[in-house]
Amino acid sequence: MKPWHIALILLAAAGVATVVSLYGNTTSYVSFPDADAMAKENPGKDFHVVCTLDKNKPVEYNAQKDPNHLEFYAIDSLGNGKKVVYNQPKPQDMERSEKIVLVGHSQGTYFQATQIISKCPSKYEDAPVKQKP
Amino acid sequence: MKEIIFQGEQLWPGNLGHFFVVLSTVAAMAGCWLYYRAANTGSDNLRSWGRRLTYIQAFSVLAIFVVLFGIIFMHRYEYYYAWRHSSNELPVYYMISCFWEGQEGSFLLWMFWNAVLGLILLRTAKAFEAPVMAVILFAQFALSTMILGVDLEIFKVGSSPFNLLRDERADLLNIPVLAQMGQANYLKIFNNGNGLNPLLQNYWMVIHPPTLFFGFATAIVPFAYSIAGLWTGSDRKWIQPALIWGLICVGVLGTGIIMGGFWAYESLSFGGYWAWDPVENASLMPWLLMAAAAHMLVISKSTGRHLFASHVLIHITFWLVLYATFLTRSGILGNASVHSFTDLGLSKQLLLFLFGFILISVVAALPGSGLRKKTSAGFLLLIASFIAAALLVPAKSQGTFNNIAIWTGIVFFLGALVLFFYYLYRRTKIEMEDEKWLSRELWMFLGSIFLILCLLQVISATSIPVFNKLFGRNIAVPDAGFYNRFQLILAMPVMFLMALGQWLRYRETDAKIFLRDLLMTATVAAVVTVLCDLSFGILEIKYLLFLFLATWLVVANGMYLLRNRQIPLLSYGAGIAHAGFGLLLIGVLVSSVNQKILTSTSKGIEIAPELDTKGKVDEKGVAFNRENRILYQNKPAQVGEWTVTYRNATKGLGRDSIDKYFHVYFEKKNAAGRIQDSFTLSPKAQNNPKMGLIAEPSTRHFISRDIFTHVNFESGLEKTEPFSGYTETVVSPGETFLTASGKIKMRIDSVARLAPAEGTGIRLRIRAERLEDTALLYPVFNIDLENNKFEPVPAISNELGLMALITNIEVPKPDAPGEKVHFLIRTGERTPQKSYIVIKAIEFPWINLVWAGTIIMVIGASMAVYNRILQQRKLQA
Repeated sequence: MKPWHIALILLAAAGVATVVSLYGNTTSYVSFPDADAMAKENPGKDFHVVCTLDKNKPVEYNAQKDPNHLEFYAIDSLGNGKKVVYNQPKPQDMERSEKIVLVGHSQGTYFQATQIISKCPSKYEDAPVKQKP
Repeated sequence: MKEIIFQGEQLWPGNLGHFFVVLSTVAAMAGCWLYYRAANTGSDNLRSWGRRLTYIQAFSVLAIFVVLFGIIFMHRYEYYYAWRHSSNELPVYYMISCFWEGQEGSFLLWMFWNAVLGLILLRTAKAFEAPVMAVILFAQFALSTMILGVDLEIFKVGSSPFNLLRDERADLLNIPVLAQMGQANYLKIFNNGNGLNPLLQNYWMVIHPPTLFFGFATAIVPFAYSIAGLWTGSDRKWIQPALIWGLICVGVLGTGIIMGGFWAYESLSFGGYWAWDPVENASLMPWLLMAAAAHMLVISKSTGRHLFASHVLIHITFWLVLYATFLTRSGILGNASVHSFTDLGLSKQLLLFLFGFILISVVAALPGSGLRKKTSAGFLLLIASFIAAALLVPAKSQGTFNNIAIWTGIVFFLGALVLFFYYLYRRTKIEMEDEKWLSRELWMFLGSIFLILCLLQVISATSIPVFNKLFGRNIAVPDAGFYNRFQLILAMPVMFLMALGQWLRYRETDAKIFLRDLLMTATVAAVVTVLCDLSFGILEIKYLLFLFLATWLVVANGMYLLRNRQIPLLSYGAGIAHAGFGLLLIGVLVSSVNQKILTSTSKGIEIAPELDTKGKVDEKGVAFNRENRILYQNKPAQVGEWTVTYRNATKGLGRDSIDKYFHVYFEKKNAAGRIQDSFTLSPKAQNNPKMGLIAEPSTRHFISRDIFTHVNFESGLEKTEPFSGYTETVVSPGETFLTASGKIKMRIDSVARLAPAEGTGIRLRIRAERLEDTALLYPVFNIDLENNKFEPVPAISNELGLMALITNIEVPKPDAPGEKVHFLIRTGERTPQKSYIVIKAIEFPWINLVWAGTIIMVIGASMAVYNRILQQRKLQA
């Protein structure tokens, strides 16, 4: 047994451990009802929900009342709507976003977001619209 | 359909540019072939033709660059690239940044660096010139096809930066305005471009991408030397130049990565320099592996061991560069990143690019030209049949075909790997006696292994979107905390090995002396750690252990130099680089563990008891990052130990500037009430009509900490309600009058004529009071003498919620002396709106260690490179 054989065994073992723990630790993108169901079993764990902003309902942010409180309604990819609370100022690109990824968990009647990633069809990043002649 | 003749277009620059793209592609392919033949036959004639083509190719790349820059500089918006990435307002010094906003431009930048590398290697590679240049020119060929822009219906070959706006965005020609004036005149409407993303309009963004791309580009050189070594059957001679370029890559790529971090810290508002975003990881992955590879090369060079591992790591590093390119340019990352990615439809080509280079690795590893030829022919046949199948397959069975393609691809990739490893191992196997336990090579090897582990963790997490795509899964991307947890632990053995590395000898070390030195450095490091921690106050065991190891790393590498003064400083580059890396890690640890959000607050609307990550009620109410405070204008607030006042806002320079700077005054008093320290920060907010609020932080740098602030919201962003309660009053100067509600008391202070330059008219100064607040309003009454018309301009005070407008002026008749001028003033009211900002302030302690460590690391790496070049010269002389 050469010393570097030990190193290789170490590498293999640690590599397997990394991958196993990676896929054991991650969550899937879920819908709002799934997030509700899972919140009870996994308190304190955050989930990812891909959704869109419900433009028919108000987006409430009043900095003078609480600069860290934003409320809005979102619709997940399966069409389920839910109230979302986010304790941060309003992301300014939210209203023009075409997709929002929420990270957080269900809490009672609303979804408590800890992170919001808005995906905007902004002019700087728009995909070229190719039209067939 | 009638052909439209478009007006005002200049098509020759595009044609010229396109010509050079084609020339670059052809020259690279031909040059690659000639050099390949020269490598096999040793013909000097073929080699000199290869050189000529290299020059032509390099010239073409330069020409493409110049033409594209010219198009942007001359504002030729008939070209899509110029229209999309630049505008008339863009200053010249940011025009270069347009190159890296678009993908085509960044491929071009990569080609530019490759051309530079090619010209250097042409002179320095000597015996390896032919195979090395063949590899470089193959890369140039592959990159040239990325900007070729030929659409084969199902398979798009590259995307040209010289495409026309009207081809790329045909939809834009159908806008109503053009229906009237004719589509031929579209350039009259499209006379300005979209502009460059404001985030890229920063001086760091002018130098960071070229540095990063240069680092990326240099990864090909060790790869090319490894191929050359395998091709010519030379065991050892390729190692030294590969090592030099490997070290250059580690230094430059490392600098580029940290520059990116510095840019993020200085101009983005996420509050930090590293976020484990896939884009950042894409540049970190090759860096980690190149660092491991460079160490492996050092071992091979000094002891002749691990030739196999050296080859393997260099090859995989270059594959990783291509894989990272695929990740960031194929659009596969989608939801995984805060960055948006454009999918130019080149993902298949990018994959082909990656597999093409893996094939080169495999073929080079094969022994004997017969086997090489058969294998390459087999592979090419396989690829060709796949492309043919892709073209022929009917649309409805596309899904099945994709599945088959994915699995064939995976099997093919694994098969190629097995072939590569098997033959490479057979060819590089050297019978040597076992390493001694106390030899530098053994522990350096282990260090590389741990770097590979760091890489494995990053790559497996970053590749989740690829995994999802391949196997139809739906796994969410992990957050930064996930990476931090693993990397914190994985970095520890790396730091330990870096601390003892210099004290170990090659082949064998005297155990007694080594243990004595180890103990000595560890003791000093422990003392230093304790002293430092008196100031840091870190208590958690894992962070303390990290701090100790990082300190040990700095101390051990520093002490080695002090103890061995006879060694020339120039040859101690590695030790200096390692010590710098240790400083950087101390900075990373302290600035993140001890980071304080000064504006954190527990106050606010509470709907339900908030639970923290352990599921318990969060007593402090700060679990959900209530990290912002509202600051009303001129109302001081206590933020940490600072008294903070938002004083005023000013508009950015330039007439059309949409930048707003908010001047926030920080003040700290000592116990006696005397001002101890004070400064003003001016975070910027740009209410960009197309992107929303773009906040640029403002940071006060102290030696031991930074105070970082940025504005997240401001009163100007609130939707304003309309005025109501209009009333008109006739008043003369000096008289007091009220609004309809009676809440605001007003008085005309003075009457003034407009300055001649402003036209004819009158400006009033009205003093208004509402409770304790006062404001001055300046309504204007313009008189158009020619048309005998009046144009009143209202004045508004948001703070009072007041609008005042002069609707008429009654001048006393000449026959009534003593009569005053009377003004008819209309006033309106709305809810008073206070001027405020919502601000976040963070304290980053000892973040300067991150930058200082980086600089020391770069100096050390440069010394190592220079020293190795001197060695090489001596060998050749």
